[in-house]
Amino acid sequence: MRKLAILSFLSLMWVAQAFAQVRTVTGRVTDDKGNPLSGVTVNAVGRDLSTVTNNDGNYSIQVPEGVRALRFSFVGMETFEQNIVGKNSQNVTLGTGSGTGMDEVVVVGYTTQRRKEATGTIASVKGAAIANMPVQSFEASLAGRAAGVQITVPNGVLNNPPVFRVRGTNSINLSSQPLIVIDGVPSFQGDVSQNSAANNPLASINPNDIESIDILKDASAAAIFGSRAANGVVMITTKRGKAGAAKVTYDVTVGQTRAFRLWDVLNAEQYMTIKNEGLTNANITNQKFLPSLDANGQTIDTDWYDHVYRNGFQQNHTLSVSGGTAQTKYFMSAGFTDQEGMLVANDFDRKTIRMNIDHNANKVIGVGATFNFSNEMNRAPNTGSLPGQAFATAGIGRIPLITAPNVAPYLNDGSYNIGSNGLIGVMSNQVGQVGFFNPVPIIELNRFTSENNRINSNVYMTVKPVSWLTLKTQYGIDYLNTDNNTFLTPVHGDGFPRGGATSSLAKYKRWVWTNTANFVKTFGENHNFNLLLGNEQQRTLSEGFGLSRQDITDPNYTDIQGGWITPNPAGLFRGENYFLSNFASFNYNYKRKYFIGANARRDEYSAFAPGNKQGDFWGVSAAWDIAREGFWEKARIDRIFSSFRIRGSYGTVGNIAGIGDFVSQSLYGSGLYGALGTLVFNQAGNTNLKWETSTKTDIGVNFGILNERVNFEVTYYNNNIDGLILAVPQAPSRGIPGNSINDNVGSMYNRGFEFTVNATPIRGNKFSWTTSLNLTTNDNKVTSLVPGGAQEFVSNTSGLEVANITRVGHPIGSIYVVKTNGVNPENGRRIFVNRAGQQIQYSHFVPAGQSRWTFMDGSTAPSVSGADAILFGRSTPAWFGGFDNTFRYGNFDLNVLLTYQGGFYVYNGTRAGLRDQRFWNNEVEVMNRWQKPGDVTDIPRVVFGDNVSNGSAFAQSQNVERGDFLKLRNLTFGYTLPFKLVEKAKLSSVRAYVSGQNLGILTEYTGPDPEVSTNGNGNTNQGIDRNSVANARTILVGLRVEF
Amino acid sequence: MMKHIRHTFTAAALSAGLLLSSCKKDEWLNPVLTTAISDATSFDTRDRIAQQINGLYAAVKVGGYLGSRYIVYNDIRADDYNNLRTNGVTGFSTWNHTVVASTNEVANVWGAAYAAINQVNVFLAGMEAKGNGIVGAPLSTQYQAEARFLRAMCYYDLLQLYARPFWDGNGSKPGLPLRLTPNKSSGDNDLARSTVAEVYNQILSDLDFAEQNLPTTYADALTRTTRVHRNTAIAMKVRVNLSMQRYANVITEANKIVSASAPFTAATGVPHALQANISTVFTNYTTTESIFSLPFTANNLPGTQNSLAFYFGPAPVGGSEYPLISTGILNNPAFRADDRRRTQLLTTVSGQTYVNKYPTGPVNTDYAPIIRYSEVLLSLAEAIARTTSGIDARALALLNEVHLRSQPTPFTAAGFTDNNAFRNAILTERRIELMAEGRRSPDLLRLGLPIPAKANVNAVQPNSAEYIWPIPDTELINNKLMTQN
Repeated sequence: MRKLAILSFLSLMWVAQAFAQVRTVTGRVTDDKGNPLSGVTVNAVGRDLSTVTNNDGNYSIQVPEGVRALRFSFVGMETFEQNIVGKNSQNVTLGTGSGTGMDEVVVVGYTTQRRKEATGTIASVKGAAIANMPVQSFEASLAGRAAGVQITVPNGVLNNPPVFRVRGTNSINLSSQPLIVIDGVPSFQGDVSQNSAANNPLASINPNDIESIDILKDASAAAIFGSRAANGVVMITTKRGKAGAAKVTYDVTVGQTRAFRLWDVLNAEQYMTIKNEGLTNANITNQKFLPSLDANGQTIDTDWYDHVYRNGFQQNHTLSVSGGTAQTKYFMSAGFTDQEGMLVANDFDRKTIRMNIDHNANKVIGVGATFNFSNEMNRAPNTGSLPGQAFATAGIGRIPLITAPNVAPYLNDGSYNIGSNGLIGVMSNQVGQVGFFNPVPIIELNRFTSENNRINSNVYMTVKPVSWLTLKTQYGIDYLNTDNNTFLTPVHGDGFPRGGATSSLAKYKRWVWTNTANFVKTFGENHNFNLLLGNEQQRTLSEGFGLSRQDITDPNYTDIQGGWITPNPAGLFRGENYFLSNFASFNYNYKRKYFIGANARRDEYSAFAPGNKQGDFWGVSAAWDIAREGFWEKARIDRIFSSFRIRGSYGTVGNIAGIGDFVSQSLYGSGLYGALGTLVFNQAGNTNLKWETSTKTDIGVNFGILNERVNFEVTYYNNNIDGLILAVPQAPSRGIPGNSINDNVGSMYNRGFEFTVNATPIRGNKFSWTTSLNLTTNDNKVTSLVPGGAQEFVSNTSGLEVANITRVGHPIGSIYVVKTNGVNPENGRRIFVNRAGQQIQYSHFVPAGQSRWTFMDGSTAPSVSGADAILFGRSTPAWFGGFDNTFRYGNFDLNVLLTYQGGFYVYNGTRAGLRDQRFWNNEVEVMNRWQKPGDVTDIPRVVFGDNVSNGSAFAQSQNVERGDFLKLRNLTFGYTLPFKLVEKAKLSSVRAYVSGQNLGILTEYTGPDPEVSTNGNGNTNQGIDRNSVANARTILVGLRVEF
Repeated sequence: MMKHIRHTFTAAALSAGLLLSSCKKDEWLNPVLTTAISDATSFDTRDRIAQQINGLYAAVKVGGYLGSRYIVYNDIRADDYNNLRTNGVTGFSTWNHTVVASTNEVANVWGAAYAAINQVNVFLAGMEAKGNGIVGAPLSTQYQAEARFLRAMCYYDLLQLYARPFWDGNGSKPGLPLRLTPNKSSGDNDLARSTVAEVYNQILSDLDFAEQNLPTTYADALTRTTRVHRNTAIAMKVRVNLSMQRYANVITEANKIVSASAPFTAATGVPHALQANISTVFTNYTTTESIFSLPFTANNLPGTQNSLAFYFGPAPVGGSEYPLISTGILNNPAFRADDRRRTQLLTTVSGQTYVNKYPTGPVNTDYAPIIRYSEVLLSLAEAIARTTSGIDARALALLNEVHLRSQPTPFTAAGFTDNNAFRNAILTERRIELMAEGRRSPDLLRLGLPIPAKANVNAVQPNSAEYIWPIPDTELINNKLMTQN
């Protein structure tokens, strides 16, 4: 009876369909760059009818009458419904930019989830958004792309790791960089170079190979990575094959990069005017700055920028093939990048080969592998722009600012202009010194390289004995060998007069073995369970060795293997660490309306002392999709809010990034006393040391209006970090090695809001506009430091200049300078405000018996120094974000990405140097110096030798500026060739484009770029611009061909 | 069936892997560092303890302290050198008396000397706990004596820069925090300054112990120069007492190692005597004239901008940092044209005259001279001159002993108008003899003499703040009981 009923029903259905009028709708689906999308599901809305697009992105679907729209859905893209009333052909573009589509899949650690089922706070960026950018490593392209993610590209030195922060600076002494996991294997991070050639190992991944980047921000999402999750976790998933015929993609870009917004410095005439005036004012009569003539009898006026900066050419190629059968899918790619930087002799070359393969042996067993080999060659001069280099006399960021313009790089006989004292020659100047080094010989003759050979790969097997259980084991390796070479010429510069060569090899080996069991089951109709249990081991071995040789025996040698007198060891290190972890993840939802999730991880880590090795980390979360409640529709709220979700999470995670492998132990190290071996107490360990813990709270809402045309996401976050591992400063008189001992003492918080708006304001057939805006606020405060100890500590730049302070009750690494109060119009002296609030003026030259420091009435005053500094303001952005827009008109597309940061100060130490009144060249502003009583100016009377009045001797407030900026980070204009044309050439897609990076900055900052970090990823010495080169502007022309 | 076998095989392989890793797990979780020695075992063998003794010497030899910079700063803050580089990293602020509490060298010298002091304290405690039993007497007392000598030297050196001279209030002025116990873990930051006199008392107590327990000599010349022995302790006591203006004690101590009449030599212990030519001392570092020097080798270099040659010597061997200034000793009539210390130990390059006592290069392996016998002779001469009236014959002989080997014209009693002129002659001889050896500033300070003006730098009066260095702010911040100078 029952069977009969079903049969009858089916027959009726068939009859109904047979009688309906059916028509065929065809079209093509592309991404927002015009690339065809194959495998897109095309569904007739309201009917159980669907098809998928073929390799060229084309589809053809039979739709019965009454179907008013087609729904296009594709993993990683926003699902889109297109009205087809009265249409037989319809091309569609799916958006990739916003990355917050609720149907997309996000990587949540060891599994994936649909975004709408994930309760943690996860930001996602599609690989397409960061492909074909003129960067070296993918994260440099993340700026402005996702809420909560702050990227600061420190300067224009190639492959210098960007400052990468998720929701503020979350550590003081350890790393604040998020954990970066590439296809399940945590990557090596930071600058692995041992010389001036920056070497960010994240550049080993060709950005064009990346499918998606998922950033786990809150405790509930990140807790699955336990002790390493406090700074957020960035999951990188590389591209994998899809079933279908082989699809070949070739990407090529060529372009040019150059410096912009460089400082205006004095020309030769201005230089001599200022410096001679300074000599007169200093009562120095036996020295004089005088012009020199070149071989043609012209007065020498050198623009040193010409010898340091260049138009760098670059080319980038990626060729990939992907495809497969239902059983076996593959993705293969080969990449080649050859980039010249804006600085002479700064190059980045990369070769990558990737092979990702997945195979289903049968319904139960699947296997696969990921293989990536890369070779990166980083070359750079001593740029003076990496952490620790700011005051390097050979730093070529600084040389063109400091060197006298009235001398030339070459003498008139064509030889290098080098003085007998090993510095640049003074030519006709009657002074002892007019610069440090002549940049031309040191750039031409010195060499710094850091080369990586890296294999990043894994194999996995899945066993699916029953439909609701997946067992997976994955073994991954990350082997990184870094070969560092330095050659210093004996002719000039840091190698003068002996020459030097340093070569060292560093080897890093990591393996990760992960075993998981994933239970996914729905009970009844509405109880959806997902449980993951896992176990993981990770072991990392590192060692390095090398030679540092000096005293070259023949000028022809340029390598460590040549003839040298001294052999000394270099780059010796050895380390190992090991994680043993168990973790679990549980997700449940009822009717996809009520969601709860929990993650927990227990880590044991080798670096800590017995008894403190083990830590437990966890996070819980819940979400409520209110819009799915019946009342929502009944109350007609759905007419305003097409979706509405409230979510929250709470948990505790840890941080150990950057901690030493043997940090808990007290150690003696070996050295030499003459020819004898020594043993010296050199590490005061702490056996009580354990993880920094970050307790994170998230509350957020997501809602869509105008039928999801506009989506909003608002999140409040609060990270309370406790047990910060501080190098607790010891009184230097205690004589502790390094004057500090690590301890879990400090605390800090990061709080703020994240706002994201994704919208498609215009979606026409011909013209469309999609936009994504995000803004993150960050309130950072250090709440405690060493109990009973100092409630503040200062941090320096390159070991010399203090301009940051971390003080309880204030943001980490606040700008810390001596307050100044302009220049006294009566006498041209800089007015300082000392600790007691007294105004004290300074004259570098005073007659014998008088004090350089006087009160405003001329009476002798105590000297002012760095000890009079005050906390000026925060050095990290209080708000930041991005505004990403994609416009399409026919076959044209335009992408405009604006990024912004604000609410912070930058200490412009470079300007302090550019106003120094030693032989150093100055910025043109110095022409407005005080000259006579009544002159109102901020440039004091110039007195030769004066290194105090303008901020060289200690940091001063007149050199602190607001860092707020709005930057046209990227602009891409593309044209996709009409398909009909392309088809004839047996191609499936051809797109040509022009793209520009860093095209403009809106800022009041007087230096080249307020997006700067002389101290790299340092936590407590951010916001410093000290002799760094600026960021580069790059223009690319690109072509993408698919067939 | 095949499938089942395959599955079973896979499962077995996986379990085997898990089992294997669990065996290794404890080993991997508790790694042993193979490139360092744990503090738990650092006193376990005689060799380790012997290497720790070498380590104590290495600690005072660091570039920031006696390896060069302490010596450099004490010369360049005085009146004989010029600075054309204006480079804050290479002593410009010291040269022109603008150092403040946050200046790098102020913190670095303080830190380096105290780091060495703590190495001594850690060593002494380790010896008491375990090491004495391992090495046994008499080595255990010798090691303690060497350690205490080095500690005394560190405190003495710190006093010369960071505390008022002894004459100011007879040692009652604030001295240094006297750290005598080992620091290996957190805490114990706050320690008030002992008075200058209290620190000197500790120094003398350490030196007395050293004198009583150090060996009289060692087997070879290198060790006699680079390790301290009894006469080293005595020579140091001469220097310390001279700084305290305790001239009677200077005489008592110096007489232990200076014979009654010329040729002056040490009769006991290492037979110290002047070399015929002073230049010898700066090429052959291990003669009996070098009472204590710190060795450098091609494998154990002073480091960048840390060698004496870099500061005092001309390029290319040195860095041309500090040529002699025309207003200083260079043109002092007492420094005669035919003086070997001018003809052999000065060199003129590009119009600038440099001290060439550290000529080895381009790899700067010149030893750092800490105490030479000529200093002892001149200290003794000065102490006698300051405690006698007129021109004491022995003092004159001592002065001539040093002078005549370099310049043929002897000083005569008749050549001095009075005792004061005689004292000044001894002091000038000291200035010439010990040029670029770090003695000039301490000599000015111990006598309360102004630091004379030079170039565009004004003179510093004995009562001015710049007369000594400030206490580094890192100490003031972290040691709540510390006070600024």
